[in-house]
This record gives sequence, C-alpha cells and structure tokens, in this order.
Amino acid sequence: MFDRRLVSIILCGLAGSTLAAQGTSVTRLRRRADSLATEWRRADALASVADSLERERATGGRDTIAVGALRIVANRSPLPLREAAQRAWVVVDSMYGPVAQRLVTRPYFILAFDPDTSVRRPVLRVGLEVPWNSTVNDLTHLLLANIPLEPLDRRLDEWLGGPLRPRIERSRDIARVYVRLVTAPSQSARRCFLGDVPSCRTVLDLNESDSSYLQWYPSAAERRALLLRSFSDYFDRPATLTTWRACMRGEDADCTQLIRSLPRGAIPQPLASDARRLLAHTALRIGGRGAFGRLLGDSSAPIGARLAAAAGVSLDSLLFCWHADVVAARPIAVSLPRWGVPAALGWILVLAVCGLRSSRWRVA
Amino acid sequence: MFRAILYSQWKWSRLIVAVGTIAGFALPLVSLQGAARADRSPLEAEALLHAVQAWGVLYPLLAAALGLLVAIVTWAPDHRGRHIHALTLPLARWRYVLLRFATGATVLAGPILGVTIGALIAVAAATLPPGLHGYPLALAVRFALAALVAYALFFAVSAGTARTAGIILGVIGAIVVVQVFASVANLELNLADHLQMVLTNWPGPLAVFTGRWMLIDV
Repeated sequence: MFDRRLVSIILCGLAGSTLAAQGTSVTRLRRRADSLATEWRRADALASVADSLERERATGGRDTIAVGALRIVANRSPLPLREAAQRAWVVVDSMYGPVAQRLVTRPYFILAFDPDTSVRRPVLRVGLEVPWNSTVNDLTHLLLANIPLEPLDRRLDEWLGGPLRPRIERSRDIARVYVRLVTAPSQSARRCFLGDVPSCRTVLDLNESDSSYLQWYPSAAERRALLLRSFSDYFDRPATLTTWRACMRGEDADCTQLIRSLPRGAIPQPLASDARRLLAHTALRIGGRGAFGRLLGDSSAPIGARLAAAAGVSLDSLLFCWHADVVAARPIAVSLPRWGVPAALGWILVLAVCGLRSSRWRVA
Repeated sequence: MFRAILYSQWKWSRLIVAVGTIAGFALPLVSLQGAARADRSPLEAEALLHAVQAWGVLYPLLAAALGLLVAIVTWAPDHRGRHIHALTLPLARWRYVLLRFATGATVLAGPILGVTIGALIAVAAATLPPGLHGYPLALAVRFALAALVAYALFFAVSAGTARTAGIILGVIGAIVVVQVFASVANLELNLADHLQMVLTNWPGPLAVFTGRWMLIDV
C-alpha cells in the first residue's frame, strides 16, 4: 500500500524544485542588486556634475578674500568678511597648526543677501547664505563653526561624535560637562568626579574594550536602571519579554544579556560627546601648534594613545588636566546676581514711595 | 504708634501669616523628600535635581501670593471704613502710610523665617551626592526679596486712587491695542515681548521671581 520508493522520489522532486526556486531567487536578487549599483553609480555621477556646476555658479563673478590660509569666495556686499576672517584665522591657526594650511584648497562659499527685501534670491546649494547685517562676531562664529577641513578618520570621528571644531562658548561648554559628571547615573562618573583618573578613562571610553558598558555601569542596579530608563519600550515585547521580566526581578545575567544584544553605539554613555570633545581640545591646548597633526598622525592607534601623542604628555596627565579644567568650571548655582539684592531693594523703595504719593484722602 | 498699628495688622492678617509660615516651612522639607533616606542611591542626583526644580516653582508663587494677600489685608479695613479712622489720627498721611507699609512688611517676617528654618533643616537632614550643594540661605534671601517686592507692588496699587488704577489699566490696554494693530499691519513690533523682557530681566522689578529656585544644585 505504501511505496517507499514513491515517497523518496516525491521528496527528491520537492527538494529539487526548492533548490531550483532558491537558485532563481538568488539570481533575481543578484540582478536587482546589480541594477541598484548601476543606478547608484549613475546618480553619483549626476550628483558630481551638479555639485561641480554649483561650485562654478557659486564662484562665478565673486571676490576671493584670503586671510592666512582661509579662502572666502563671496559676492560683493557690506559684510565685514575680512575682519571676521582675520579673527577666525587666529583661532584656526592656533588650533590646527600646520594642518590649517590645507584650507587653501578648501574655500568657503558665501552668498550675502539683503535681509530687508522680499525679492527672491537665487538658491545656493553650495556654501552659506548670510544676511548683510551680520556682525563681525556672528560672522567669526559662522566661519569657525563651518571650517571646510576634510572629515576626521572614522574611528576618531565616532569617538568624538562629530568634527573637531574650535570652541565658541568654552566656559559654558565645560560647565555642562561638570553638571553631567555630577549627575550621570554611573559610579564610574562619580569616582571620576572625585578625581579617580582610571574611572575618567572609563567614562571617556578610552579603554579599548567591546564590553565597556560593564565598566560604565559596573553594578547590577546601574545596569537595570539603564535598561529601565532607556530601553523599557524596546525590550518589553514578546521576543524578549521573559529576559526583560527576569532582569526587572533582579537577575543581572539577564540584564547583561539584554544590554549585550544592543549595538555598542546604542548604549548611552555616562558622559555625552562634549566631554570627549573637551578632552581632545585639552590635548590640543597642551600640545601646541603641532598637536592636531599628531592627533591625525596614526589613525590605527588607540584613541588614548593618539590623544597622549597630540598633547605630548602621558594619558593620565592629560586626564588630570581635563579633570582640573572641569572641576574649575563649576557653574554658579544661585541665579540671583550680585547686584540683584540692591536692585530688588531699590524697587521695593520705589513702589513704597508710589504708595506714599498716591492718596484716596483728597477731598473732591 | 507703630506697635498699635502692628497689633491691628497682626489681627487682620494672622491667618494668612500662619498659613504662609507653615507652607514656607514645609516646602523645602517636601521638596527634598526621600533625600534624607540613608538608602538613597547617590546615582539619583539627576532625579533629585529634577524634583527640587519642580518644587522650586512654588517658592515664587508663595511669595507673590503672600505679598498680594498681606497688601490687600493692610488696606482693606481702611477702604471699608472710607479712611475715617485714619483721618481721625493725629498723623500726616505719609507717616500713616509708612507705618502701614512697615507693619505689613514686618508680618511677612513669619513666612520668611519659616522658609529659612525649613530650608536649613531640609539641607542638614539630606544626604547629598558628591558634587551637589545646598543653598538654604540664598534661597531664603531670594524668597524674602520676592515677597517684599510683591507686597510693595500690591501695596502701591491698593493705596492708589481709582484714577491711578485707570491709568495703569489704560496703559496696558493701549499696549494690547498697538500690538494687535502691529500684527494686522505685519509690522515687526512685539511690544508685549519687549515689555515682558523689561519687567522680568534684571534689573526689572519682577526679575527676582524668574529663574531657577534651587535649594540643592551643583
């Protein structure tokens, strides 16, 4: 009644048809990928042409201002570009040193426009549009915030969380790092605040380790609090519900497993990127004019070693300087200014005199 | 004379002063609730600051409410009696008003002391994480100034004539009308914002009410 040969033939047939179908799918997907790559290459070529045309348009009929290695291509306007460039160059040269010379080949494109007219102006897709009435100070900040240097290597860029530009509001930026160091929900951050340099190394993500989060949040309570604060919605779903509940019951192994399942970049660090950027700036300040070049020198070296090389001191000494800078920048907590008391007393006096002068006792 | 007027002032405003003193004493203690627990994690510094900041909104409100109520109570019996009692006194008007102002300011000392003592106790009892500091005296000074500014403002308004009140209302109305016309005419004129900036930024009269009222901060 039951022929085993028939069954094996049917199974072979099924397997064959599945393999054939898989082969077809792979071929189809490969063809689609090839087609996408072709489209991407075509779009890239078109974008390059458009970019080049835009650059031509942006530079056509414009003046070039040269200050140091800064080059600014701009239309004629009352903008105080030269003064701003002179101010910016001092900062750029002191921060980037010889590397700043590369700016000769990477100009700014600036289109100054009249802010008081409603006439439509040509759209500029390359460079910056700036109103005529901008002050020297604003322009200097604009130039410093948009330095057209080539991007940093990927590793340094990821560690810094963006490009390394001159600091504009230095004291306020450091005060923000101070507040974060005091309030971060991490024992390592707290120990760093109290002056423990190895902990500073940890919270600044300078230990080359895949499981740095275990050092950022060393206790089970911290890891549970981290998950509860940042990932409760993400993990409270059927696929991870059992592990999530076990973690919330206090099973640290489950919490660690959940954190381990996250991409490294998604785990919130105790200190934000401005703390790391401040460390890089401290290294550049200590290292002098050639520091930026040394920082870029060996892109394969660990970040800590690169920073130490840039500063020209050991990493621990650099971290000590960084810590001293942060602690010295403790923000003023009480918002009543020094002359707030006399001002308030003055108003009380003025209002009291108003009360004395205004009377309901006059006879009509 | 001062003692007699102070006594009458106390009789009229004792309920307000008592409630204000209790509220002022309790507010710092409540704002730091849980910070005194020995088992509180030092990792909760951010949460503690958020709680203190949230409760901090109540200090200027309490100061403004106390200033308003004490100023109203200071003048209410005189207004009710059409100032006949005051006119029968052998005093120049300016002296009488000065005494009224001084007695009103004196009774505000109760709530101010309440806030000071409450803040000192709350900070002394709290276990603060490293890096955080208590500012009980700065907060108490600020509360005192805010309460006195509010009191002086409402005292002046309350002492004024109907004509003065009309002038003040007229100025406010004129600003609103100009603002509406400016908006209709699409003019870049923002009188309301400008006025707010002048009043609430230093050295404006209401600047003492603005900003963060933090009993605990970095």
